[in-house]
Amino acid sequence: MIRSTYLVTMRDYLGYVSAWGFWLGLLFTPVIIGIFILAPTFAQNAQPTRYFAVIEQGDTFTNALRQQMDDSVGVMARAMLDPLAIAEDRESEKIAAFDEARANGASVDEAFAQAGGNAAMLPRQDFVEVEAPVSNSAELAPYLIGETLVDTDEGPQPLFAAFVVNETSGEIEYWSENLQARTLISFAREAERELQLDRALASVNVDRSVLSEARAARRDVKQQRVRIGEGEDAETEVTQTDRAPFVVSIMMAFSLWFLIFSVINYLLMGTIEERSNKIFDSLLTSVKLPHLLAGKLLAVLLLSLTLMAFWSFGSGLLTWFVRDSIPADVAQGLGSLLTAAANPALFVPAIISFVLGYLMYGSLFLALGSLCDTIQEAQTLMTPLFVTLMAPLAMLAFAIQDAESALIEFMAWVPVFTPFLLILRMPTEPPLWEVFAQLGLMALTTLLILHLATRVYRAGAVHGAGVNDVWAYFGKLVPGKKSAA
Amino acid sequence: MGEDMPLKMSGVSKWFGSFQAVRSLDFDVPKGSIVGFLGPNGAGKSTSLRMALGVLSPDRGEVSLLGAPPNLESLKRVGFLPEERGLYKKMSPRQIITYFARLKGLSNRDAKARADELLEMMGLGEFARSRVTKLSKGMAQKVQILSALAHRPDFLILDEPFSGLDPVNQQALEDLIIEEHKRGATIVFSTHVMEHAERLCEKIVMMARGRKVFDGTLDEAFAALGRAVHIGVAEGFDLGAALAPSGFEAVQEGDHWRVSLKPAQTSQDALRATLDSGAPITSFTPQEARLRDVFVSLVSDAEAQDLTDTLAADAAEGREAA
Repeated sequence: MIRSTYLVTMRDYLGYVSAWGFWLGLLFTPVIIGIFILAPTFAQNAQPTRYFAVIEQGDTFTNALRQQMDDSVGVMARAMLDPLAIAEDRESEKIAAFDEARANGASVDEAFAQAGGNAAMLPRQDFVEVEAPVSNSAELAPYLIGETLVDTDEGPQPLFAAFVVNETSGEIEYWSENLQARTLISFAREAERELQLDRALASVNVDRSVLSEARAARRDVKQQRVRIGEGEDAETEVTQTDRAPFVVSIMMAFSLWFLIFSVINYLLMGTIEERSNKIFDSLLTSVKLPHLLAGKLLAVLLLSLTLMAFWSFGSGLLTWFVRDSIPADVAQGLGSLLTAAANPALFVPAIISFVLGYLMYGSLFLALGSLCDTIQEAQTLMTPLFVTLMAPLAMLAFAIQDAESALIEFMAWVPVFTPFLLILRMPTEPPLWEVFAQLGLMALTTLLILHLATRVYRAGAVHGAGVNDVWAYFGKLVPGKKSAA
Repeated sequence: MGEDMPLKMSGVSKWFGSFQAVRSLDFDVPKGSIVGFLGPNGAGKSTSLRMALGVLSPDRGEVSLLGAPPNLESLKRVGFLPEERGLYKKMSPRQIITYFARLKGLSNRDAKARADELLEMMGLGEFARSRVTKLSKGMAQKVQILSALAHRPDFLILDEPFSGLDPVNQQALEDLIIEEHKRGATIVFSTHVMEHAERLCEKIVMMARGRKVFDGTLDEAFAALGRAVHIGVAEGFDLGAALAPSGFEAVQEGDHWRVSLKPAQTSQDALRATLDSGAPITSFTPQEARLRDVFVSLVSDAEAQDLTDTLAADAAEGREAA
């Protein structure tokens, strides 16, 4: 068995890795993921500057609007300085330095640089104020429709929008040809809210700084650990290290999903190729069907391990080259993640889940591929499986919020979801009997699916059963419907 | 018995749903023989061969391949060319032959050496490392045949090996079969082209509509059809009466007489008896029986039998329903 399975594995594996498409996917997947991550910043920076003007007697609203827009860049700058601290709503030296610089009158760019950030990385402001070309709304139209341009640092440009503060009626009007862009109008509403708050405070002789001081004086709510293991620090405050297992479990579950989703295509295509090339009879007189299936599944498993090894090695190499520029707290975070990943309580169930999950879905795709002569035929059968595969992805979103939610706990008992959801549950330390029961149920289901997949594969490979036979089979199950098959 | 009879099928039947593809098939293949497995399309030849190899399981009856029910060990000594031709399109002929030879137990080194040897022998040396997609259909078929015999099998089963080949390649394949036979291999091949069987086979098995309709040597096949000579004589001469004393049976068919030959009689015997009877002979034509005639005759009989069986079954069903 071992020899024939090995030969099938090696033939299939070498066939996959010798295809240029594999290397294209291997090299470009990280690039594509990177593009997706950076796309919003690129898009924002690529957007042309939009000019607006404020027509107001005085500058009260104008100043409030400027302050609001400045603050929004400040919020972004704080998030860029220490994203983890912002996400966890905790104190941070960098953010404290930024806030102090701002309080001392520094601009956002200056404060960002003083706190250790690179000001060039800050996103560019989309909206730039220009001097109002007219003094009332009746004369604005030619500027807003682009017939007349306004003077800007970039030369004459069309006016995107204008605010008109009507002191008589007390209304603030927003004029623009673009009815969809809401950013500027949101800034204006927020600015007006702050302005009214200032006025209200002034009316009762309370200085605005009192509010800021009150906000600064708020007490932090510190999350505490209930359980402290033997030999662990007596400190009970929850740290990055405590959260690391949750982060790692989500990463592992997503990796499993991503790998299954990205390599099942190989199983499908490989089987369709053998069916359409009519190689089954030659193969089945040289190797037993279960050994053939095992060889095929192992080949694609090897392929997925190649992908993981390549990407892990690539990431490791990249990290090594930029090790000196990695901030200490990021390095500490990465260390916590690696420590959590190395915990047997997490990685052992994760590996079992990975293997069983792969076998479960892999054998299904292999079996269905054996019924199809073309990829078009396969697509009709694949839809239910793809829908099944999308469900765990949706549950990952729930798990990020609360890995102990009743939904995750319940769905983890459904064997086709267990491979993903059990990993997510492990950091919550579920009862051991539940872990074993779910692993056992998953193993039994995998065996059942492997058995059924072998039968379906045999029907496709030996008897030439096809897509129509599948529909005919399900047709028979519909009460009162007589199948033609 | 097993090694003397590399293949033995006893009472083998196979159904696909309600359709019976093979009906109580009995036949055996003696060691060292070349057996032709003949029959029209849909006769059940491929199904029978797939059962012989264990690809399909019989619903009834037994199959013995090299002395045991088909298993991976016995299959390592068997080479098989399936009816449906196919190769891995992204592999080279050398890789394909090596792969199948290794699956049959050869070491990597031996398999590669054997692939090179066979490809050179069949004139495909220069295409050894080309992708299969670059080969012509005939070349690809040769590669598949070479894959079947790369491991020097004791027993070769070839399902329609000549289909799709041009006359030159058909001759090359005949030569290859003879070579393999000389090497000591037992060979079974299915075909519906009788000329190949006539030239190559010592024994033939004919099938029609899932039944075996003949199993024997070529001579026995010709005997089953019945041999005859056609003799023309001057008008008005009664050749039937003239030959009756010498034991020949003659029947007038248009402008000539058909004289049937019994197994011990030759066409020369018939000519001598006609001359001795004093008949005024105008023509003499021995009717050489061809396997095609035997085939058509037997298949027609089988189809007639099948029709009779079907009608009888329908009638029985009708009676039951009544």
